[in-house]
Amino acid sequence: MMSRVGSLVSKYRRFIPLSATVLLFIVAYIYGLFAFPSMRDPQVFLNMFRNYPFLLISAVGMTFVILTGGIDLSVSGVVALTTVASAALLRGGMHPALVIVLMLLMGIALGATMGSFIAFMKVQPFIATLAGMWFARGMCFFISDDAIAINNWWWKVLGQTKFLIPGLSDPAAKTGDFISPLVIVSLTVVLIAIYVSQFTRFGRTVYAVGGNEQSARLMGLPVESTKVIVYTISGFCSALAGLALSIAVASGHGLYAQMFELDVIASVVMGGTLLSGGTGYMFGTLFGVLVNVLIQTLIQFQGSLSSWWTKIVIGVLTLIFIGVQSQLAARRARLPGEAGAAGTEKSFWARRWKLITAVGGVVVALVAVIFIVRGLQGPDGGGAAAGCTDPAFRQELAAQLMQEPGAVLTYEKNGGPNCTGELFVIYSDGRIVGDNGTAKIEKQITPEEVQALLSAIDDLGWYTDEFYDTWHARCGQCFGYYITVAYDGQVKTVRGVDGGTDAPTRYWDVVTLIYAVIPKFN
Amino acid sequence: MKTTKPFISWRTITESRLFFPLLALAIILAFDLIFVPGFFNFSTMDGHLYGSIIDVLRNGSSIMLLAIGMTLVIATGGVDLSVGAVMAIAASVAALMMNPYVLATELPPNLAKLVFDPHFTYSPLWLVIIVTLLISTICGLWNGLLVAYGRIQAMVATLILMIAGRGIAQLITNGIRIQIFYDPYAFIGNGWIILPFPLYIVTVVFLAAWIITRRTAIGLFIESVGINFRSSFFSGIDEKKIKLLAYAFCGFCAGVAGLIASSNIKTSDANNIGLTLELDAILAVVIGGTLMSGGRFSLLASVIGALVIQAMTTSILSIGVPAFAIQAIKGVFVIFVIVLYSDQVRGFIRRITAPKGVTL
Repeated sequence: MMSRVGSLVSKYRRFIPLSATVLLFIVAYIYGLFAFPSMRDPQVFLNMFRNYPFLLISAVGMTFVILTGGIDLSVSGVVALTTVASAALLRGGMHPALVIVLMLLMGIALGATMGSFIAFMKVQPFIATLAGMWFARGMCFFISDDAIAINNWWWKVLGQTKFLIPGLSDPAAKTGDFISPLVIVSLTVVLIAIYVSQFTRFGRTVYAVGGNEQSARLMGLPVESTKVIVYTISGFCSALAGLALSIAVASGHGLYAQMFELDVIASVVMGGTLLSGGTGYMFGTLFGVLVNVLIQTLIQFQGSLSSWWTKIVIGVLTLIFIGVQSQLAARRARLPGEAGAAGTEKSFWARRWKLITAVGGVVVALVAVIFIVRGLQGPDGGGAAAGCTDPAFRQELAAQLMQEPGAVLTYEKNGGPNCTGELFVIYSDGRIVGDNGTAKIEKQITPEEVQALLSAIDDLGWYTDEFYDTWHARCGQCFGYYITVAYDGQVKTVRGVDGGTDAPTRYWDVVTLIYAVIPKFN
Repeated sequence: MKTTKPFISWRTITESRLFFPLLALAIILAFDLIFVPGFFNFSTMDGHLYGSIIDVLRNGSSIMLLAIGMTLVIATGGVDLSVGAVMAIAASVAALMMNPYVLATELPPNLAKLVFDPHFTYSPLWLVIIVTLLISTICGLWNGLLVAYGRIQAMVATLILMIAGRGIAQLITNGIRIQIFYDPYAFIGNGWIILPFPLYIVTVVFLAAWIITRRTAIGLFIESVGINFRSSFFSGIDEKKIKLLAYAFCGFCAGVAGLIASSNIKTSDANNIGLTLELDAILAVVIGGTLMSGGRFSLLASVIGALVIQAMTTSILSIGVPAFAIQAIKGVFVIFVIVLYSDQVRGFIRRITAPKGVTL
């Protein structure tokens, strides 16, 4: 029995990382369903596709590159450059279709250039694409120093169209669970990539080049041109991902997508693709991305963990996957200094005791160090700020205050490094009252200033669909905002949290406007 | 036939490891001489030297330190992407050890006063420095273990700490940017003894690295591991321990750089300290002529490479290019350097400088 299991395992060893990823995703999702009842909403599952289509698209390009044994660090730069360039071109009045084509061509050109350097000048992929990343990110700031807002019908349609899911929605009322056009684009990209990598001659060449470049060349395969093509594909995917990002956030800025390539690489690795090339599946990449997004979702639902835990968890998971894969790879090709002839095979644990004790020791050491250092905070400081990870808004109080005669605006800002909870009310006669739970503060401005503020907020589109409620658990030092504005007979409340890209960018313009008039607690 | 052999020929100069980095530095300084008025001016204040050149040396100290550690790692055929994250960890540890009360939201008044006291430190400075450097060395050891004993590609192994490192740094400080008010600590990055104090630190680390690698056999071992780790293993070199040493030293250097950087800005900013500095360090080593595939290395050339980067950054800034846009120029510069070092160009230079009658 055991031997049959053993032979099955060794026969399908190449599927181990892939099935581990799928299993991990399923187990983690089921855990989420039980631990957080609100995760049972099918929309939460759909949001995993909806929130990060750009991650999936660039991971597809990266998988091709990694399958050939290379790496593409330029992803984040090209994504940022695409957002800025498309925003600038749209502002300049170019036709959106032309912008999209131009951006994709730009990605292709950048990718092809880097690929040529790598294939023909034998530059290390890592250095060449690094240079590409710097170049692309630097160019963003030659175009514009600041964020450029995109206000274009095409972008709006692509970003806000809802495709309702049959069976989970009410088509008549246009409500229910939905996906966006970008989800369809990203899944189409994945499907095409699966076809290309598994069922075409080019796909097989990619695997051959990654498996062993020398033998691929001896077999007469076009190694150089294949390399150029995979980097070109990656450039194309990055540009497409950049377009998706610019559609999602309706703006372009050179600081978008920082360290994004790390997320992409981690997703590809978690999807079971070996970083030394030649092994892996596009299908695995889909699940790698899903695991990455699921971790973020779980940490958001958990609420009390800060967002930087995402980094640590993803780092650890990447380590585990790489570790498993390097063990699998080591079985195929023994290296000097490791277990010797076949006759002296020791058990798995006995052969690896050095590595296991070493790695375990370091993990224990690091954890110990963190706790010791945290312990230094002493009884006064220990975990004092931990209670501030996600304070609740005083929503009832705000609603109550809005009922008072003349109240036109309430503004609550809470959280942050000092765990504040400041609630301000602005009355139409210019009176501003604020309290932070312990102290009260008052300020008087002219009624005209209040009117100017309200109409400025209205002009920004407060009562349009461009302002929508976004909420997720925030990092330890992020601020949350709860703003209600009554103007011209309309009342609307929009919440937002900083430290993410999901709140509409104009929301921060409103926050800035209000911040300018309210009094400050010292 | 007997040929006369000059002591220093054109050939030995161009073949020298220092030739290209020095040439690049000379070109940049010549550019400054023409386009940046006052670049070469020095002034003294309280007996200390100030000037643009001094600024280049002072601001470049972090890159120089990282380049020293990175040279050894790259010479073994690896790379360490985590140095920026290790800098952030070091800064967080140091800041927390000096001032753990910052994390508290409510403090008794007697302690609250201490938080902003420039003479207050929770742990003595020597302990802060030792523990910080110890932890950064452990980070380096972790990388080394994964690479040498775990047999994971260096780029991948260090990528893990690069991803997780900034998270760990924030975990240490509970996600808060700790401001550092302790005055003696500020001296590490901002002090002057005629020259900026960080320069002395760089010199000490450089000399230590130089003595370790050039006055003992370790340097040779590193080169041999980088050229072919299998044959080094068969010739009796413990290649794993050599790699471990290189990564641990690289982590140590990153720790020192983290101390300087956090002391410079008087904050432990886990998100921004050392951001993209690993790329600068690798670029410095590449400019210094150490091949990414490992093998022969020159510490001095890497340090000059770091100065080339810093001088370039400073001079581009002083002609008014926005800070972020510098990256684009850096990218083009990297490609230029790579082309310069490519076999094609090297062969060309060799051909035109070769003595007549010698075919290569």
